[in-house]
Amino acid sequence: MELTINNVRPQYIADTGHSEIWGRTLSMMSPHHLHVVAPSGSGKTSFIHFVYGIRTDYSGTILIDGKDISKMGFEEKALLRQKRISIIFQDLKLFPGQSALDNIEIKRKLSPFHDRDAIAKMATRLGIADKLSQKTVTCSYGEQQRIAIIRALMQPFELLLLDEPFSHLDEDNRMKAMELIYEECEKRKAMMLLADLKKLSFLESEKSLRL
Amino acid sequence: MALKYNDIKPLLHSERHSSKWVGIIGLTIGLVLLLLAVQMFTNIQSLLREEAPKQARAFDYLSVSKSITNENMGKDNSFTPNDLALLNQEPQITQVAPVNSNQFRAMATAGDVLPFSTDLFLESVNSTFLDRLPTNFDWHPGQSEVPIIFSSDFLEMYNVFAPSQGLPQVSAKTISSVNIFLQCSGVRGTHNFKASIVGLSDRINSILVPENFLKWGNAQLAGDTSPRISRIIIKVKDANDPELLHFLDENNFHINKDKVRFGRIKGVLQSTVGALGVFGLLVVLLALILFAFYLQLTISNSRDNIHLLLLIGYSPGWLAKSFTFSYFPLYVTITFISLIIVSVIQFILSTMEFTHTALSPYLSVPAWVTVGVLIFLILYLNTRMVRKEILKLT
Repeated sequence: MELTINNVRPQYIADTGHSEIWGRTLSMMSPHHLHVVAPSGSGKTSFIHFVYGIRTDYSGTILIDGKDISKMGFEEKALLRQKRISIIFQDLKLFPGQSALDNIEIKRKLSPFHDRDAIAKMATRLGIADKLSQKTVTCSYGEQQRIAIIRALMQPFELLLLDEPFSHLDEDNRMKAMELIYEECEKRKAMMLLADLKKLSFLESEKSLRL
Repeated sequence: MALKYNDIKPLLHSERHSSKWVGIIGLTIGLVLLLLAVQMFTNIQSLLREEAPKQARAFDYLSVSKSITNENMGKDNSFTPNDLALLNQEPQITQVAPVNSNQFRAMATAGDVLPFSTDLFLESVNSTFLDRLPTNFDWHPGQSEVPIIFSSDFLEMYNVFAPSQGLPQVSAKTISSVNIFLQCSGVRGTHNFKASIVGLSDRINSILVPENFLKWGNAQLAGDTSPRISRIIIKVKDANDPELLHFLDENNFHINKDKVRFGRIKGVLQSTVGALGVFGLLVVLLALILFAFYLQLTISNSRDNIHLLLLIGYSPGWLAKSFTFSYFPLYVTITFISLIIVSVIQFILSTMEFTHTALSPYLSVPAWVTVGVLIFLILYLNTRMVRKEILKLT
């Protein structure tokens, strides 16, 4: 997959200042990783949502393999989200009334990359194996974050979008989660686009851009 | 592993709303009424086919004249070329044949066997319109013998009044051997012919002579080459077709009421059943609107979950189709119950004496087709509506 960000500026930000992304052209190919760093309110979530195709309030173009994502139809976008782009939302977007396992299964059954057993294995690695049967609304935010991570890793993808995915995890759990994400990206030879408040210590060697 | 609707079913909150039950009951009642109307429509067709006079031929022949009313009495009520064109254009009428009448005076005596003499009216019609065409029903100028086709009804009438007048009754076979002396006279002279009855007609109530003879007589004796057409024979597929009767009534054409009696009954019955069908259809529509309202309510109550499903990659088309088709068993149950009710009614009707066992105990093909079309329409329209609602959430 090739992702091209071409002169993109959010309509609601008048001055994009010294951003290395807004108003610039950049291109990413599998299996590149890009770390977007910016303080709160500078548009990290907007940027991730623009790339995922759920918001179009920007100027410029975002191209997936040369195709403008804002011009894709509903079914085309659905297919893209099933097979090619996966995401971990900042606000997680879990079904609160469903168990952790059901939340993950809802995604896995849509386009399975792993079998059902993989869920338990990943949950064990991330320390939430005992939470799988629990309703997500009763889980802590950190636990929900790990459920959302496992859910995002259940499908095939060529691009993984992460929007502050470890904000409620301690350093140890961050490391475990990051290792798992790296392994899964490696398996798929996928790109990774991670947005966070500051550069994470274990991503020192990755390319990073300021928003 | 294929994705199943059951996997996401818990995320769609089906409310126990009263509109669902009103919709189900309404749909059942509406469907029963609609199916009954369709079935009754078919029943009327088959009953009237059974009741109508049996006719081996594929066509009916009707004698059409102009209705004589107080307004047009005394005026020329013959058929004009426009009338003929109008009749020819009517799709229910296969063929039209004018009946020509004599413009000269014709008087018949039957010699010694039947001692009577009478003025006659003679008519001729295209021979393809005759129910029986004897081989010798032909005439050429100079021929002294004129063949006649006599109406069976006239023979019957004669046999009824003959005894009271001291005349002998005559059989259909005997009448052909009666010698008739025919005196034809007009402004241009008089001619005497011998005539014989060569056949009887059940179809046309008249005394028919060959077309050639009438043309010759009208021209040579009366000096008239453009004969007046006072009636017309039409060849139709179905004399009981209400549309045909409506057309004839509308244009002031008169036909024998008895021949089309069933057509008029059929018209009234079809209107009644039609009204029942329209009512049934309205109830079905109302129920479907209620059902659509219920589906919209369910989508509205589950909007957050549906929005989330769309965000993580569920296709709006798949969601709409799966959601709509999850009600398929309910539609099938409603249809099944309606079919059972209408089938029982049809079975009871078919065993009743007044139907003369002419009715099939089973539902007709149109009833099944109606059910099929309705289920298809319900699913198609609901899927579209649900998809539209879901797309609003993207």
